[in-house]
Amino acid sequence: MDIRYQLEKPVMLDVQMQVRDFTVLLGLSGEGKTVLLKAIAGLIPARGHPFAGLAAERRPIGYLPQGYALFPHLRAWENVAFPLPRGAGRRAQAMNLLTRVGLADLAERYPAALSGGQRQRVALARALARRPELLLLDEPTSALDMATRDEILDELIREVHDFGVPVLAVSHDPHLAMLADHMAVLLDGRVVQEGPPREVFARPATMRVARLLGFRNFLTGRVAEIERSGMVVAGADWRLRAGLQHGMHPGMAVTVAIRSEDIVPGEALGGAAPNVLNLKVAALREEGVALRVRMEGALCLDMLLPRMQCAGRSLVVGTELWVQVAPEHVHVMAE
Amino acid sequence: MLVFLLAPFAALVFATDWHDFHFAPGDLGAIRVSLLYSGLALMLVVLAGTPLAWWLAHCHYRGKWLVDALLLLPLLTPPLAMGILLSSFYGPYAPVGGLFRQAGLYLTNTAPAFVLAQIYGAMPYYVLAARAAFEGVSEELEQISRTLGRNRWQTFWLVTLPLARLGLTAGVALAWVRAMGEFGIVLIVAYFPQGIPVKLWVNLQDIGLSAVYPLLWVFFLVALPLPLWLGLRSRRQGMF
Repeated sequence: MDIRYQLEKPVMLDVQMQVRDFTVLLGLSGEGKTVLLKAIAGLIPARGHPFAGLAAERRPIGYLPQGYALFPHLRAWENVAFPLPRGAGRRAQAMNLLTRVGLADLAERYPAALSGGQRQRVALARALARRPELLLLDEPTSALDMATRDEILDELIREVHDFGVPVLAVSHDPHLAMLADHMAVLLDGRVVQEGPPREVFARPATMRVARLLGFRNFLTGRVAEIERSGMVVAGADWRLRAGLQHGMHPGMAVTVAIRSEDIVPGEALGGAAPNVLNLKVAALREEGVALRVRMEGALCLDMLLPRMQCAGRSLVVGTELWVQVAPEHVHVMAE
Repeated sequence: MLVFLLAPFAALVFATDWHDFHFAPGDLGAIRVSLLYSGLALMLVVLAGTPLAWWLAHCHYRGKWLVDALLLLPLLTPPLAMGILLSSFYGPYAPVGGLFRQAGLYLTNTAPAFVLAQIYGAMPYYVLAARAAFEGVSEELEQISRTLGRNRWQTFWLVTLPLARLGLTAGVALAWVRAMGEFGIVLIVAYFPQGIPVKLWVNLQDIGLSAVYPLLWVFFLVALPLPLWLGLRSRRQGMF
């Protein structure tokens, strides 16, 4: 499904993107993601397609806002039955939908007596009761606690796949985007990149997109050499091999982006391996079971060392360390 | 503090002459007038005040503060002064009152004048309470209702009204008590037909304190059950 929506208030937006199966629109807080969903739902005046010109109640969409907005005065089954026409089979239809999301046993409960995940599934069943052509999810992970988030997300994605309705979820959470079938990145009111998450996460189009996707290391330099199998990028005191990328030419000013997780200790690799660097530890910080290491030298890099690689290593500030980054993990972007 | 508030009512128990408990002539008629016309006034207050309160809660425009301030005017005005203003406006020799008179509707010392006075006394309280109740309903829930296929009118009935119920009930109870007990405006605009508050005043003037207490007991008995019943009912249904 192609989506194109433009609006000036309350934020300037000109969004054009595709929705395929479970699609995530990733953007920072305040970019206008919720505004976009409300515009598609017909709750905010906007130009665009599909559904433009239809009143909110006539648009074939399902909308799950943050917090799910279940009606507190109605039981779970009554919430699901809310959009269904009055008739003999209304309750049976609602119960059928609740059964499909695994909540038939809780049908008589009011929303206040449901957990966050249960509320989300009731809201999902309610949104799907109208058989929408498009399901809109606003920050579906925001109301979930970390302990159950992944489990509930897996269930949510499985359920929306089962129902066969295309989904547009907006989020600032890159983790959710990783689980999507398709993703787009919203910056300054426009979609600046879209595609399968594997491609977007591997090849962010700009530094700002890379930052949004979790890249921590950014270096500015120039393309030094282009070879058949790759290329070399160089700064003042450093040279890094990178995979071959289209549109590059020697002398071109570029930004290099490297994920902290893609930098690994490289003592055992010796001088023959590409991109082995000798750096000095400048700062250390524990992050759960991992260790974040800030290193300085010819260049400054941030490395996230997993628990298994910390074992037997006594790192302190000032320790010299050999590290390596594989050429395919060195992402080069034109400036 | 509760004892302080209720102490005068306890005095009523002791002040009443239980051995010679009887009504003064015309008391039963006053009870009938108060019940009948207060009910009618309450109905009109709810019918006209609810859309106004909804509009005030939902519509945002420049200069709304002025409308808010103007709405407080009837509340701020002393009841006697309000009665004088109504007489100046709806009286038979006033421009507007004259028009009504030509149409055969007299708005002083008549049943319509009595109801009109009660409406002016009760409406501001109801509108303020109802407006607060509507403002307490999450706009997001109303929007969700729209995305679920319900139009504005259905959303009002299915979402807004049930969720504003507690506040609206308080507004209805307040308006009922205000209408039943309205004295100042009624005294000026509709001395006749006499309702309970004016009849209490007349009994005090013509007979004395002993003629006040029986009617006062009846006033409490007929005025209090509705707000109490509404409050209990809405709280019981509000336990979701």
